[in-house]
Amino acid sequence: MGVINFIIDNILTQASVTVALIAMLGLILQKKSVGQTISGSLKTLLGFMVLSAGSAIIVGSLVYFGQIFTEGFNMQGIIPSIEAINGQAMNELGLGRDIALTFLAIFVFNILIARFTRWKYIFLTGQAILWMATMTTVFGYFAGLRGFALIVVGGFIGGVFAVAMPAIAQPFVRKITGMNEIALGHFCTIGYVFEAGVAKIFGEKGEKKKSVEDLKLPPQFEFLQDTYLSLMVVMVPLFIVTAAFAGPEFGATLSGGTNYLMFAFLQSIQFVVGVYVLLAGVRLLLGEIVPAFRGIAMRLVPNAIPALDCPVLFPYSPNAVIVGFITTTIGSIIAMFFLPVFGWAMILPGVLTNFFAGGTAGIFGNAVGGRRGAIIGGIFHGFFITLLPALLVTIFNNMGFVNATATDVDTVAAALLYAWIIGPLMKAF
Amino acid sequence: MFGFGKKKEKKPQSSAESATAETVLTEERRAELLHAVSVKQAEAADRTGEAQASVQEELGLAFYELGQKEDAITALEASLQAKKSIGPGYKTLLKLYNQKRAEAAKHNDEASLQLYMQKMDGLMQISKDVTRGVK
Repeated sequence: MGVINFIIDNILTQASVTVALIAMLGLILQKKSVGQTISGSLKTLLGFMVLSAGSAIIVGSLVYFGQIFTEGFNMQGIIPSIEAINGQAMNELGLGRDIALTFLAIFVFNILIARFTRWKYIFLTGQAILWMATMTTVFGYFAGLRGFALIVVGGFIGGVFAVAMPAIAQPFVRKITGMNEIALGHFCTIGYVFEAGVAKIFGEKGEKKKSVEDLKLPPQFEFLQDTYLSLMVVMVPLFIVTAAFAGPEFGATLSGGTNYLMFAFLQSIQFVVGVYVLLAGVRLLLGEIVPAFRGIAMRLVPNAIPALDCPVLFPYSPNAVIVGFITTTIGSIIAMFFLPVFGWAMILPGVLTNFFAGGTAGIFGNAVGGRRGAIIGGIFHGFFITLLPALLVTIFNNMGFVNATATDVDTVAAALLYAWIIGPLMKAF
Repeated sequence: MFGFGKKKEKKPQSSAESATAETVLTEERRAELLHAVSVKQAEAADRTGEAQASVQEELGLAFYELGQKEDAITALEASLQAKKSIGPGYKTLLKLYNQKRAEAAKHNDEASLQLYMQKMDGLMQISKDVTRGVK
């Protein structure tokens, strides 16, 4: 009895160990060798710990940024970063185990829906499923769900999204790629369809429709070549300008002996380091689980349509990606200044989301409404993907998250489903 | 009336139908492609870098049209290895990998399934890199 109590009280309470044990179970079920099982479990454990370390670095930097932003601009400045939300939820909020189990439950529900309905989509973007699991767990927890119910409801909602999002994107994907065998698996789809809707209203129609692909665009932006370099290009000026507004006196209270602007510079780099470490952890964490899931899913649903990450569409409309990135950035900057006028927090533009989600949305806008559709649609899309995360800020603040909000709009929509429908329903009954 | 039923006409071709469409080839076209293949194969041996990528891409597309999937994959992979690109060769290779993935799933061949899933991941990375201008 003493041994069982020891296991329950000291081992299973450690999220990292539980997650590693889940991976171990999966590897044993796949009849992997002893060596593969041990190395896979240890890598998963390592991944979780690395992710935690990344999160701690991000939080340190965000706490500092939150303080200087409030001092400098007299309002809350929120950095949109799903990585920061995931890291804080896994560690500071202690939801790591529930997120990992929800992650698996989403896989299971995705397979069940694809196996037994006519929607044969299998969502293959593991990282996106982790973000979805994070949001359903956090907001399920906020709505009052605990334990088994938290995981099953999260798994079901995530599973429905994993099938429904590729399904609603598919008519556009068919139009863009000319084939039905591959789908889009990226949890920003509501934004893409929103852009397509705007492009339909404001875009060019019929014979007047001109594709952005006929335009000659300047060569790509070099700073976008590297994920972390592009993050730095935004974060460094953001931190330094904010520190300048906060002033040397206030800055010195946080920077100790270091010059306050230099300290801001170093903190901005710390943020990027945190994202770097956290994503390295995510890769380790998912490296064992995702291939196993893919194998199982594809064999159980042999006529599956694989839903792939957003770069699957880039080759079909590369100019639209650049136009989408630029216009989404413009839209998100407009929203950044517009939302505080109405008492919302200031949501700072996220360069990576603007590139990947904005770029893909640009393809949708161009396909539906040509050049004008892509440009006007992109600006609306930028506004939309800034507005939606702004709606979550109060809840995130109440739950103790530091200065960050989610990015991928489908995960935000799932969160709002909990906050606006499931939570109130639970309170009513 | 009222356009009901039109939707059915728009229904995309099933994979079986499109596979059949791909295999319909006139004798004339076949001879033309075979000639192109022999010329390109000789050319590919002499070229390097970008020029080789382009020849291998044309070769891969010709093999694809001839229905020689394995040869098409080999040539298109060689093309992307010589130079990352997201042109017609890339799109055809994605289609071929996905077909291979589906076949592996049907035959319960875990090793091939994982291999082609990884290859599709590789193509996603190339797409990201080329769009972002990574050499």
